[in-house]
Amino acid sequence: MSRLEHLPTLRIDPSLTLPLHYRGKTRYGVSGDTVATALFADGVRIFGRSLKYHRPRGLYSLDGECANTTMAVDGVPNVRTETTPLVSGMRVAVQNVMGFPEFDVMGFMDRLSPFMPAGFYYRILHKPAMIWPLALKSIRKAAGLGKISPDFRTIGTFEERYLHADVCVVGGGAAGMSAALAAAESGLRVILLEARPWLGGCWDYRSGADSDALPLYERSRELAREVADEPRIRVFCRTPMIGAYNDNLVTAVQSGGEDEGFTERYIEIRAQSVVVATGCIERPLLFENNDRPGVMQVGCAHRLARTYGILPGKTAVFSVGHDMGLEAAVDLSELGVEVLCVADAREDGQHPGLVRALTERGIPLLRGWVAARAFGKRHVKKAAVTTVEGTVRREFACDLLVASAGLSPVTGPLTVAGARLAYDVHTGYFLPEALPCGVHAAGRLLGWNDPGAAEASGRLAGVRAAADCGKTVDSDAAEAALAAHPGPESGCKLVTAPVAGKKAFVCFDEDATVKNVRQAIDMGFDVPELIKRFAAVGLGPGQGGIPGHNLPLLAARYRADTAPPRPTTVRSPLVPALIAAYAGAQRDMCKRTPLHRLQERDGGVFRRTGVWKRARYFSDDTECREEILAVRNGVGMLDASTLGKFRIHGPDALNALQRVYVSDMRKVGSDRVKYSAMCNDDGCVIDDGVAVKIGENDYYFTTSTGRAGATVEWIRYHTRFDEWDFHLVNLTDALGVINLAGPDARTVLESITDADVSNEAFPFAGYRTFRVDGWIPVRAMRLGFVGELSFELHAPSSFMPALWDRVAEAGKPHGIRNFGMEAQNVLRMEKGHVILGQESEQRTNLLDLGLGFLWDRSKTDAATVGAVALEQAEDDPDRLTLVGIEMDDPDRPAKDGSVIVDDRIRGYVCTLRRSVTLNRAVGMALVEAPLSAPGTHLEIFEDDCNGQRLKAKVVPMPFYDPEGKRMKG
Amino acid sequence: MSLMLTCPVCGRRNGYEFRYGGEDKGPRPEEDGLTPRAWCDYVHMNRCAAGPVKEWWFHRDGCGSWFTTWRDTTTNLEIQPPEDSE
Repeated sequence: MSRLEHLPTLRIDPSLTLPLHYRGKTRYGVSGDTVATALFADGVRIFGRSLKYHRPRGLYSLDGECANTTMAVDGVPNVRTETTPLVSGMRVAVQNVMGFPEFDVMGFMDRLSPFMPAGFYYRILHKPAMIWPLALKSIRKAAGLGKISPDFRTIGTFEERYLHADVCVVGGGAAGMSAALAAAESGLRVILLEARPWLGGCWDYRSGADSDALPLYERSRELAREVADEPRIRVFCRTPMIGAYNDNLVTAVQSGGEDEGFTERYIEIRAQSVVVATGCIERPLLFENNDRPGVMQVGCAHRLARTYGILPGKTAVFSVGHDMGLEAAVDLSELGVEVLCVADAREDGQHPGLVRALTERGIPLLRGWVAARAFGKRHVKKAAVTTVEGTVRREFACDLLVASAGLSPVTGPLTVAGARLAYDVHTGYFLPEALPCGVHAAGRLLGWNDPGAAEASGRLAGVRAAADCGKTVDSDAAEAALAAHPGPESGCKLVTAPVAGKKAFVCFDEDATVKNVRQAIDMGFDVPELIKRFAAVGLGPGQGGIPGHNLPLLAARYRADTAPPRPTTVRSPLVPALIAAYAGAQRDMCKRTPLHRLQERDGGVFRRTGVWKRARYFSDDTECREEILAVRNGVGMLDASTLGKFRIHGPDALNALQRVYVSDMRKVGSDRVKYSAMCNDDGCVIDDGVAVKIGENDYYFTTSTGRAGATVEWIRYHTRFDEWDFHLVNLTDALGVINLAGPDARTVLESITDADVSNEAFPFAGYRTFRVDGWIPVRAMRLGFVGELSFELHAPSSFMPALWDRVAEAGKPHGIRNFGMEAQNVLRMEKGHVILGQESEQRTNLLDLGLGFLWDRSKTDAATVGAVALEQAEDDPDRLTLVGIEMDDPDRPAKDGSVIVDDRIRGYVCTLRRSVTLNRAVGMALVEAPLSAPGTHLEIFEDDCNGQRLKAKVVPMPFYDPEGKRMKG
Repeated sequence: MSLMLTCPVCGRRNGYEFRYGGEDKGPRPEEDGLTPRAWCDYVHMNRCAAGPVKEWWFHRDGCGSWFTTWRDTTTNLEIQPPEDSE
């Protein structure tokens, strides 16, 4: 179709064509098109079939307020093609169609509508019970819009932005731009959000009713230039607001343009003041077949011509309830549409200039008339109009029926911001009774339809917003300026055309008709909010944009309510947003130890553990045989840099340690580390580690990897009432750790330091500081987590690669090997050492793990965290106890986490492995106390044991080197 | 996050930066003669009042201090301490 090329209002570039693929053919739109306008220009009129009745559906609002034109685009279902910019090469497919859009095999559903009254599936399809699964299956198949594959993955770049502004203006029409300019002129930083790709709102394509004044489209472009020239205003187009929260937090989702490098962007704006100037959408006119392709709203028809250069039809009938309808009729007739008549539901109140213009063009204006029915199976062929009383009726052959009952303010942003709406008799709108603190409204939303009034109300809102931000402003002058313009017009009150309502659709998305609403009311659903749910009116993707205004009016009218109508609720997101946009950029943010690269070089296989990436294996062998044997028989080295490392110093440092550790920390010495644990207020173990005194009132201690992030918070929390004087330094990232373990560890260490590391000079649990090679400063601890002679070498992170290389080189003659997390896990398990979180869970206390010896009960004055609960739990017989277990079949180790059962669950396996050192399958389990005696036989159930329970028995721990000779030697 | 909190050190900041530390229940009770019931109540029982509540918050992504502030749980807004609170 050729376009109207020389209109000053066009937002397309007709010279730049873009291909898209639809129904096996390549079609062409032009730059600036949306997917829907490109298809419409190509002759497509039926964009899909409706949810329930498979009725043909076409362009209706052009703002994505209904699911009529949702299609699958590039494999993404339910894309709102009316608002999606056309991109070259898009592949578009129809939805909910069996056959073709014009000949849908399921089209017969439309004739079955008498059998599908409101809520029929709730009320009918559950008796007998067996019918439900069948009905569910066939309904699901016949109904529903887009289809999504379980393998579907959202493609695109998603990101988040967190912005601050003094004033956030929602809506970039004349009122919104005026508000933004007024606020910016007082020196404030303003963010302006606009859902469409350009500023201007409904002025963008209109000339206005007053033919002597500057055309509205020119005025809106003038305002847009002023906004662009104002550096204090940041404009976000294609950015509908989706939510509002406390303290004026506004959320929005921005769709990226072709060259912007992002698909959608979630934006959170914190503003001191918010101005909502979202204007109006149209209130759909309810008449028979009001959903037929060829029936469209005023703005849709007008914008098709003025913005996209497409004539919406050849011969048109208008049935409207507001002046914008008359204006569009005049303008479209000017552009070449033959307008047969304009039925206006209002008896009077029309703008005299528009009435004159219609008369001049010979277009009959039928006051008090309304469309009653659209004819034509797949597209409008004829329209019937009647008087609003239904007494006189005339028919016109036409291919376009422009229908709109009136205007509906877009109050969603105000509702989610916390405003309560009430029916306003003058405008017929649901308007805010009172606005929340720091929120203002402006423009056509409040009924200020006069162009001058729209701008003045915007400026007034901008000035009031500036006052919220503490600016001294002259709001009296702004109020006076607004008062000089005509006030809000009386709105059209027509609820429905005088028809039966069988196929007068209140809600397109869910195929809900006027009749369905009446049925719901007859069944006792009296409140719009309940009717909405029972008759499914406004639950679809359009989120109430189509039925939101009509439903309460209809319900009030049908029930002959004397009380004013009550609106239904809207919720965020106000427009559909991809979950991917909320999720934002999915960057894997993790920490790497200073030795990460070196371990990568050595073939480390990394796994995410908490915030860290750690080497789990150094070969394909998940049993880690060689890594384990190296530590048991020679020497191995492990990167333990993820350990939490802290310094606490100050006069009350010891008090703080006494509070959180269960042991008596006064016994912590300067040449020996002390192993202890922290409990929570329930006595459950949360952390373990070692502490050493490194100076007067100065301690160094370690925590487990997972607790490092919460340790400062924990200690400060439990000392918050004490006003103690101590300082905590988190050294976790500042220091790295190498665990050098195995019978040859000492020989290796001796070769790289002058310090005496003999068993006499540096015994088990000792703490020494020395330099490696005379220059690398090391804090060394003799520990034995893996059950062998081992040295934990703590050094500044920057020295770690050098230290690692030095140790590796010195260990070469002894066959030193890297070992990873899994090898360490097996080694320490054989020794009966616990890892918190693996041998414990939330309910596991210190005593359950057999670590009661750590607890010093004498230090009652320290008010140790957990001590009270431990005392109370001491005699509790119903607790789980940590025991060693051995599988009867050494080649069939039970999986971690499998359950120990008899006739009920009696415990679970914590860690269990086939031990290459011992040639037995051993591990640790938490079992009920009566099952904890050595020799007790246990049965284990796991997922894939095929009902065949695994057999095990309780055995003493540790399994390896029970006397600790190797560790202490 | 819509909640904004005022850290005594860093000022008014976005709620994302803080960790909730529960209702303020005062210092721990004396341990002498403390019944398991009383201890459990102190640790686990909350008033869960609808309205002004004095709470502990930790400025995790900031200065790392624990502080108390008042929040109206019905509006999720930080508020001035009620006059009869202290």
